[in-house]
Amino acid sequence: MRKMITGLALAAGLSATALASAAAQDKAPIKVGTALDFTAVYTFVTAEYSQGQRDYIALLNAKGGIKGHPVEIMVVDTGNQPQRGIEAYERFKSEGAVLVDFLSTPVSRAVVPRALGDGMNVVTMFHGRSDAADGKVFPTIFPMTPAYWSQATAIVKYIEGQEKGGLKGKRIALVMIDSPFGREPVPVFEELSKRLGYEFATFPYPSPGNEQSATWTQLRRDKPDWTIIWGAGGGQPVSVREAMRNGVPLDHLASVIWISETDANIIGADQTKGLLRFEGVASGKDPAVIKAIQQEVVAKGKAAGPAEKVGSTYYNIGVASMALFAEGARRALDKEGEPLTPAKLKHGLESIKDFTADGLLPPVTITSEDHQGGGRGRIAAWDGSKWTAKSDWSAAYQDIVWNLVHKSAEEFKASGK
Amino acid sequence: MFYRLAGIRHTSYAADRALWPVPVDRWQIGVLLALALAAPFVLPNLYLSSYLLPWIIWSTAALGLNLLMGWAGQIHLGYAAVMAIGAYGTIHLVRAGMPFELAIVAGGLLSAVIGLVFGFAALRVKGLYLAISTLAMQYLVDWIISHVPAISGGSQATLQAPNFRVLGLPVAGDFARYYVALAVCLLVTLFLLNVGRTSFGRALVAVREKDFAAAILGVNTFYFKLLAFWCSSFLGGVSGVLLAFCYYRAVTPEQFNLDVSIQAVAMVIVGGMGSVMGSYLGAALVLLAPIVLNNLVGTLAQAGALPVSQEILSHIPLILYGGLIVAFLLFEPLGLAKVYDNLRNYFLVWPFRHARH
Repeated sequence: MRKMITGLALAAGLSATALASAAAQDKAPIKVGTALDFTAVYTFVTAEYSQGQRDYIALLNAKGGIKGHPVEIMVVDTGNQPQRGIEAYERFKSEGAVLVDFLSTPVSRAVVPRALGDGMNVVTMFHGRSDAADGKVFPTIFPMTPAYWSQATAIVKYIEGQEKGGLKGKRIALVMIDSPFGREPVPVFEELSKRLGYEFATFPYPSPGNEQSATWTQLRRDKPDWTIIWGAGGGQPVSVREAMRNGVPLDHLASVIWISETDANIIGADQTKGLLRFEGVASGKDPAVIKAIQQEVVAKGKAAGPAEKVGSTYYNIGVASMALFAEGARRALDKEGEPLTPAKLKHGLESIKDFTADGLLPPVTITSEDHQGGGRGRIAAWDGSKWTAKSDWSAAYQDIVWNLVHKSAEEFKASGK
Repeated sequence: MFYRLAGIRHTSYAADRALWPVPVDRWQIGVLLALALAAPFVLPNLYLSSYLLPWIIWSTAALGLNLLMGWAGQIHLGYAAVMAIGAYGTIHLVRAGMPFELAIVAGGLLSAVIGLVFGFAALRVKGLYLAISTLAMQYLVDWIISHVPAISGGSQATLQAPNFRVLGLPVAGDFARYYVALAVCLLVTLFLLNVGRTSFGRALVAVREKDFAAAILGVNTFYFKLLAFWCSSFLGGVSGVLLAFCYYRAVTPEQFNLDVSIQAVAMVIVGGMGSVMGSYLGAALVLLAPIVLNNLVGTLAQAGALPVSQEILSHIPLILYGGLIVAFLLFEPLGLAKVYDNLRNYFLVWPFRHARH
């Protein structure tokens, strides 16, 4: 018992010195709260994503922060439980955070009503509600990246480009997890099939996707020209393996954004050659900002995680999320002055124009109407060791996407009355 | 010594059957009630809205499940599904224009009816088989909710809880929501406290101890098992409504998945089967311990006392939490309520070691 008390006293003393050193800096820190799922469902992405976020913040602070303000990033685990996310949200709020991030669809959804009420900015990169792209209905929710619907249109656009004779009469199959997430893109594919004339069929597999053989046997009978897989986490390598087993050529198999180097290595780096996926953030170590992190953070031993993860898909998404935040904060401080509040940050984020984070992102333009940031993305293929771009950054069929966004956002608005 | 029994005389049946014959117990309840009522004015908003409020709602849910598990001895692994039915039902009814006061009862009744249907099936089986058949209810309800857009609310599968009024007053803000939840929680608590001293409660206990022995004694076990399912499902539905309207303010299928059912069962077992206080303590441990441990470990890590990576750091609270539950069940298998009971018994005769019988 005495030992424990000494330990606690020591901890208290240490935290007091930590606080004192923070106060010694000239300007007040800007606080960002990230409550992520390190332990339950999103484990496939969280570690790399969070590492990217913290490394970028370290780079930012090494370069003097945002207009002299150091940035403090709070990281806590939610275990994907909404009640823990809400607790973390309320804590971040009381600590003065200007932006929060949950990287979990259930937790984000549970926090959205509170965040809208409080005017707190929530980052929902590549997850959460697709209709949050509507900035008028979701004023403080910032996906800033292509919604699932935009990913679906981008994939079809790529297929259209490959099929020189047009898509009329071609068969496209969607193999997806049987959950709201898996069913989300279906209306987009259906609408496009009416427009472009391809035949569309869906093949759902039961959650969590460890076992998909029955689904793929069905697909084999259907003989689609192109197959699209829509899942996340452990189900993704299973999908690709089943596709290979059933004779689906990998260069005619495209995935939603959630497939990474790790998945390719699980399946077998060589065997996975040719696999296509959507990407909204460049992967690899080539973008200038990743190089800067290598020099300023990793080389100096300040990295938040293993060095070999730097430049991986989810790492770069984490970097992109904080780069967009920093750009928004900079603009907010320029335009509306000190101190940075959630409301000012919202305006700052909404003034972001053609921001690429030095080649990491497609040109992102966020307005008070469009929180999706333009919906640009590209298709990349696995070449055996890394993902290489197969198309240029572009947005496709945004009219269909925005019809759905507006319809769904209106429903959301009506439900809260 | 502290729980003075001197001077307590049972001169009437009413006095003999009082809920708390010992004055100190009454005082404790009074103080707790006063604290609960004053909490919004005393506690910072963080602790009110993300600790006390969910604790109260989860205690309500645990009380409902405890009626079935602790009193009637029937296990239920689909309790979250029961809560979901109440939550979704009430949201749809309020959106259709029904006043909240009626809709919460209707939501509870809807849960009770559907819970009873599964209760019927469950009556044929006992023990582990019952566990599996209630598990089926969980999966079935989950599947139906996420596959019927009319229930789940479209492609995003989220329904916001509409603004609502209670007794003509709009319920907005954390204070009002807290008091609504507290009022329902107190009603449910009062009901459960009284179950123990009615023929209904005694019949449930008889069924729990041995159902065919109860039948020989003249207890209609079929009827009372069903009644237990009915009441427990009603309370589950009502607590689901509170969760949706007062806490989450939106419902999604994930908020009522299997994990939540398991948590509810854990609350009842860790807290103490058949104990009202146990439901509160169990809910506190299962709901709040992970959060508190997480923050504790986070504070230590920030202070530099734990030089490990974030992923390992995130798993430390899980290890501690698991250890905590195992330890509680090892040292006191009858639950947290029994821990309090032991303390109370100790102080009842303090400074002597044993009571004279």
